[in-house]
Formats: sequence, C-alpha cells, structure tokens
Amino acid sequence: MVELVIKDLYAGYGAVTVLNNVSIDVPNGQTVALLGTNGNGKSTLMRCISGLIKAKSGTIELREEDGSTIDLTSASPQEIVEAGVAQVPEGRRLFPDLTVEENLTLGAYRQAARATLATNLEYAFTLFPRLAERKTQLAGSMSGGEQQMLALGRALMSDPRVLLVDEPSVGLAPILVSQMIGKIGELSQSRGLTILMAEQNFNQAIRIADKGYIIVHGEIAFASKDATDLRENDMVKSYYLGA
Amino acid sequence: MATFIDLLLNALVIGILLGGFYAALSIGLSITFGLLDVVNIAHPTILVLGAFIAYILNTSLGIDPILAGLIATPFFFVFGWLIYQVYYNAFEKSGSESLRGLAFFFGLLFIIEVGLIIQFGVDHRLVEAPYIGESWNIVIGEEIDVAIPFRLLVAFVVAAIATLAIQVYLTRTFFGRAVRAVAQDMMALRLMGVDPIRVKRIAFALGVATAGIGGALMIIVLPIEPSVGRLYIGNVFAIVVLGGLGSISGTLLAAVIIGIAESIVATFFGPSWSPAVSFGILLAVLALRPEGLFGKTAGAH
Repeated sequence: MVELVIKDLYAGYGAVTVLNNVSIDVPNGQTVALLGTNGNGKSTLMRCISGLIKAKSGTIELREEDGSTIDLTSASPQEIVEAGVAQVPEGRRLFPDLTVEENLTLGAYRQAARATLATNLEYAFTLFPRLAERKTQLAGSMSGGEQQMLALGRALMSDPRVLLVDEPSVGLAPILVSQMIGKIGELSQSRGLTILMAEQNFNQAIRIADKGYIIVHGEIAFASKDATDLRENDMVKSYYLGA
Repeated sequence: MATFIDLLLNALVIGILLGGFYAALSIGLSITFGLLDVVNIAHPTILVLGAFIAYILNTSLGIDPILAGLIATPFFFVFGWLIYQVYYNAFEKSGSESLRGLAFFFGLLFIIEVGLIIQFGVDHRLVEAPYIGESWNIVIGEEIDVAIPFRLLVAFVVAAIATLAIQVYLTRTFFGRAVRAVAQDMMALRLMGVDPIRVKRIAFALGVATAGIGGALMIIVLPIEPSVGRLYIGNVFAIVVLGGLGSISGTLLAAVIIGIAESIVATFFGPSWSPAVSFGILLAVLALRPEGLFGKTAGAH
C-alpha cells in the first residue's frame, strides 16, 4: 500500500520554471493519466519525481499504509529507486550495446531487487514472450515496439511499488500503442502497481486510467474526480482537444 | 626453405606471446577509453611508473616482479581514483572534457615522465627473476626449432588470466554491467538506482590499477627507461580500437593480431619497421572498419 502525493510543486531547469504549483495524487493501486501535448511539462514532472531534477519548492511524498511518509522531494535518484519508484523514461533510454537480458538485469540493480532477480526475469519474459526469444540480442537492434517492451520490463525488474511511465506510445504504430497501453493496464491489475502515466494519446490513455490530470504550460488545468469524469467532462474537451 | 619455415614459426610464436603482453598493457585502456570514453593518453606512462615500482621492489628487496606488481595494484587503484576525481571536477562536470581533458592527460604523462627522469635518470633498468633470460627450445625438424622465451611466456599467461578475470567481472556482476552501460546512457542508469559518477570513478581506478601488473610485465619483457611509455601509445590505442571500443575479448584478440604482425614484419623486414605496423593497422581500421573487430554497430558511440 502506497500513495504518491505531489503538492504545490515548482520545478524547472536553471532559472526557467517549467512546473507551476503542480499538485497530483496517485492513490494506491490506481492508474492515473497525466495528459497534455508536447512541451507542457509532463517529462519535467516525471524527472522531478525520480530526482533527476530538483524541485524549487513543494513536496513529493510516498504515503504508506501505516500513515508514515517517505519524503522524496530532496532524495537522490538512487534513494527514490530504493523507495520503490521506477520509471520508464520517454524515448525508452535503453542501453543499445547491451543484450536484452543485460538490460533487464541492470533494472534489478537495487539491493532489494537482486534477491528476486530470477523471479522477476521470469515475470518479464512471461509478460513479453518476445523478450525471451530475443534475450541475447542487442537492445539497439530491436524494433520500436520491442524496445518499449524492454523498457517496461527493465523498470519492473526493480520490483517497484510505484511505476512512472513517460509517453509509452511515442514512435509506435497504432496497433502497438493499443497493445502497450493494454499491458500497462494489465500490470496495474495483476501486480497492484500504483501507476502515473504521462501520455499525449488521450483516447488510449483513458482506456486504463482511473482518473486523470491535464497539464497545460506547466500548470494543472483540470483534475478529474474519477474515470467517468475524465471521459465525459466537457472541460477535458475544451482544454485538451481544443474544441 | 627450412630456414624460412624456422623463421616464420618463431616469428609466429613470438608474435602470439608478444600479443599477450600487449593485451596486458592495453586492458586498462580498454576500460578507461573503450568503455568510459576517457582518453587516458597517459596510460602507457602510468605503466612505466608501475615498471619502476617493480624495479625498486625487485632490486632493493629482491621481490619477484610479478608479486611486486600485485603489491602495487591497490596503490594504482587509489591513484586512478584520484586522477578521475580531478578529471571529473575540472572537466567532465562542466562538459569540457574533450580537448582540455586530453591536455590534462598529456600533462599527467609529462609530469610522471619527468618525475621518473629526475629520480632515476635516463638509463635503462631491468629486473631479475629466474625466468628472465631462460627459454624453452622445441625441436620440430631438421634445422627447425622454436624457442619460447620464458619472460614472454610469463607475460602471456599473466595477461590471459587478467583479461579473463576482467571479462568475467564486467559481464557477470551487477557493477560490471553498470560499467559497460555507463557511457551509453547515464540518465537511464540513474533511473536504475545507480550513481553513474561512482561507477565511472571505480571503473577508471580499476583501469589504472592494471598498471601494477602491466608495468611489472613491461620491465620483465624489456629493460625500460622513463620515456619508453611514449613508444607504446600507438600500440595500445591501435589495439583498443582494433578490438572494438569496450570489448575486452576483442582487445585480447587484437593484441595478438598486432603482436603477430609486428613480429613477422620485424623478422622479415627488420625491427625498425615494427612501429609502423600498429599505426598502419590503426589507420586501416579507422578507414575500413571504425567499429573494430568486435565493435557494436547499433551503439550510441
């Protein structure tokens, strides 16, 4: 049981502030969609949660079932991974000169995940049988769809409680986008993962989202109450679809 | 005819053994330059420093040079750690490593070399061990016999063990895999919970630590003087590039190829041609197959 809570977050690069007063709540076991077109701050938020860039102000916390909290706001990327937060980064960011299996194994670098390496590897191969077929192949030589599978599998190897997925649909053919989103939905069901997924593809994202946020110019323009609200609220259409 | 076969066989055997020796000199650079993209042009001179440490321990305490190399290894690890710390803070952190970093390692090369000259002068030094000077003669036929010098055989065996150990470490351990990944995508490594700077620091230190054993082999194979390192720059860079950047087994094979090529050229055309071999091969590789023998083509290099 864990909940990701982001409050009043300001962050950016150098003197430039990208995120303005962002508050997001990802309840335990839910899949929350972070919707918005390119350049509105989705990846900046993802990087900030993973500790790759530091927040200027505001807080990022994990709330445990027993009421205790882990403050991630000024934690290092290593500490954040150790706390059970993994990310599938935008553009996949695989290690192209390493094999599929080596990429997966690197995902299990954190101490807690090393003990369960074999089980998690088995799970990744069951989730994506294609990865098992290609385990000795170099990651850089695979197709876009296979690379996205590998990126997702690699993130799961760290045995996360919270999974951040940044733009899983980018660069994929429509049929693969649909499969990939389906797999992420499956994951939240079968593993009880708490997922924050940044996506441009509104129609695909709402298939699996329990609720959603729309981010415009680094600010949360709309927060849905639940899945139905996200699909049907007229505000969504006006902000996101420009209608 | 018998003389020709005799010469060829001997050149081949010496070439293979020489290749093992070159592998021991190149393996550290294969890590620092091949895997970490740090152009440590001072590597051969750091090896010479290792050779002088083996020399001191051997002549003053009578310690076997190989053992002396092992004793020196942890000190070279610390030395490499410090070098990377300076390099990182002064250049890599601000992204100005390419040209200034090269100048830094050139400076390091001259500081070590001049330091050694001040301390030891420019005379050639050598070590003593039971296997130096001995050789093993194998008679194959009339007027054909192959001589295997023990000093080269020792170098070959030690190099093969070191190469294998490093290969296993880089492919079978979590840390080793992180070393192989670090130049490919530092941000992705951070997302795996790895501190890439720590990985680079330790891996660089490991690469420099090979100068303990490598330096000892250097002085076992040939008498040395402080500026001898410069002669090896072409050799070791040609080997690392030919082997394919970052490929440890490729480095071993490339070293043997260059060893054989040099030995054959030296036998049939005269030793003065042998320095041209590695530079010739280096140019040919860069022109024809820049990824090297075992280089990856899909990579981000």
